Amino acid sequence: MTATKLELNIRRKGAMRGILTLGSLDPAFEGAEGVSSGSVVLDLRPVEFVEPAGLCGLAALLEFLISRSRLVGVRIPEHNVAAYLERMDFFRIFGHRVETNVDVAALEERRRGNPGTLQELINFHSEDEIPGIINRISEILENRGYLLRERAAICATLSEICANAVEHGRSPFGAYAAVQAYQHIVSGGRGKGEEVLVAIADGGVGVRETLSRNPKYAEFTETDNEALRHALKMGVTGTGEIGRGGGLAVVGQIAVRAGGSLSLRSGSGRVTHYGDRTNSRNVPPFPGTFVRVSLPRKAVDEPTP
Amino acid sequence: MAGKRPYAVYDVASGEAGGKLTVTRGTGRRVREALASVLEGLPPGGVLYVDMRGVELMDYSFADEALGVLVSRVASGEYGDRRVVLVEEDRELLENVEASLRQRSLAIVRVDEIGASPEIVGDVPEHLVDTLRSIYEAGSITNADLAVKLGLNHTAMNNRATRLLKLGLIHRTKNTAAPGGRQYSYEGIA
Repeated sequence: MTATKLELNIRRKGAMRGILTLGSLDPAFEGAEGVSSGSVVLDLRPVEFVEPAGLCGLAALLEFLISRSRLVGVRIPEHNVAAYLERMDFFRIFGHRVETNVDVAALEERRRGNPGTLQELINFHSEDEIPGIINRISEILENRGYLLRERAAICATLSEICANAVEHGRSPFGAYAAVQAYQHIVSGGRGKGEEVLVAIADGGVGVRETLSRNPKYAEFTETDNEALRHALKMGVTGTGEIGRGGGLAVVGQIAVRAGGSLSLRSGSGRVTHYGDRTNSRNVPPFPGTFVRVSLPRKAVDEPTP
Repeated sequence: MAGKRPYAVYDVASGEAGGKLTVTRGTGRRVREALASVLEGLPPGGVLYVDMRGVELMDYSFADEALGVLVSRVASGEYGDRRVVLVEEDRELLENVEASLRQRSLAIVRVDEIGASPEIVGDVPEHLVDTLRSIYEAGSITNADLAVKLGLNHTAMNNRATRLLKLGLIHRTKNTAAPGGRQYSYEGIA
C-alpha cells in the first residue's frame, strides 16, 4: 500500500524563503482532509527555518493525522532544522508517535544548551498550567533585556490566548504553544529591532462554532471570517456572560500598539489585525483555532511613542 | 480618609492567592475569594484597599475575575456598605482593569497610595462625574449643599448621588436630626 504524500508550500525566494510558517502548511492541511486511514508522509525537506507559528501548526497537523491514519511519516532535513526541532522538544512530544528519518538519540547527545530565546513547544491541557508557562516566558524576556512593561504586554497576551485555547477548545490534544524572541524583525522583514513571536494552536471546535452558541451572534457567524472578525470585538463571547470576551480585544490592542499584528485562523477563515486594519481571506480549513501574535520591539534609535 | 473609617489592606503580590504574576481566571477567582473574606470581616462602612502595586504581570481574564466580579458584587450590595478601593499607580497594567469595568459599566476608586487623591478607573456616566468630583473635593457634604453647588433640585441631586452610592464609589450617611427631617450626607470612600 502506498502512503499519501502531503506537500508544503515553502517559498523559494524573498524574505520568507525556506521558512515553515502556518501558511506553508496549507497544502498539507488540504491534503489531510482526505486522509481516513492508511499511511501518510509529510515532507519537510524544503524547510530551512521554522518559526513558532509553523511549529504549532505542524504539531496540530500531526495530531490531526495521527488520529486518522495508521502511520505518519515525517521527512526532516538533516541539518539545522532537525537540531532546532530537537531543541524545541518536538521529538520528545512526537518522536515516538511518528516515523522520521532523523536519529533522535544522536541529536540528543549533541544537544546544545537552550540559547535562552525560546520556549520549547509546550503541550498543555488546562488553565492551571498557564501561570508556569508565563513565568518561563517572562524569564526568557527578562534575560533578553526586555523591560517589565514590555514583558507585561507580551505575557498578558500569551496567557489570554492560552486560556482561550483550553477553555473553548474542547480539543482532543489540548493546545500547543511556542514562543521565540528574535534578535531581528522577522515579520514583514522591515526595520531594525527585535521581535517576539507567539503562536498557539488547538484542535477544538473553532471560533465560529463557539460564537454560534450565543444566539445573539447569529448574523455574525455565517462564515468563519465573519466570526473571527467579530471575536476581535470587545465583549464578544460564546457564553454571553458579562465581563467575558475581552481578552482577544485587549490582545489586539497590545499587538497594534507595539507595531505588530494579531492573526487568527479557524475553520476556513484567516483574519489579521494590524495598524488600524483588519484583513481577512479564505484559506484551507484549519482543524481548530490558531493564533499568532507578532510583538516587534523597535531599535533603540527609533523611539517608540 | 483611610483613617476615618475602618479599613484593611490586601497586598495582591504577597498574598497567598496572588503573586507578582497574575494571569488566568483561576488565579483571579482565588484572589477574589481572598479579598471577599477580608471584606466580609470588616465592620459596616469599612473599606478594603486592594494593593496591586507589587504585581508585575496581569491579564484581562485575571482583572475581570478578581476585580470585575468583586466590584460588581459590591455594587449589587452583597457586602452592605463596605467598599473597595484600588491602590495602584497609573500604568499600562491598569488597562485590563479599565477594560473589565467598562465592559461591566462599573467603576472603582483608585489611589496611588493610601491617603493620596482619588481617581476613577472604569465607566462613570458623564453626568455623574461632576457630582463625584464635588463630593471628593468637599470630603463630606450634605445633599442640600451639593444641590446648591451643582445647581440641581433636591430630587435630582439625590438620584445622582444614589447612583454613585450604588456603584460603590461613595458613602452615604443619614442625618435624622436635620431641620426639615431626613437629610443625607455624602463622602468619598478613599
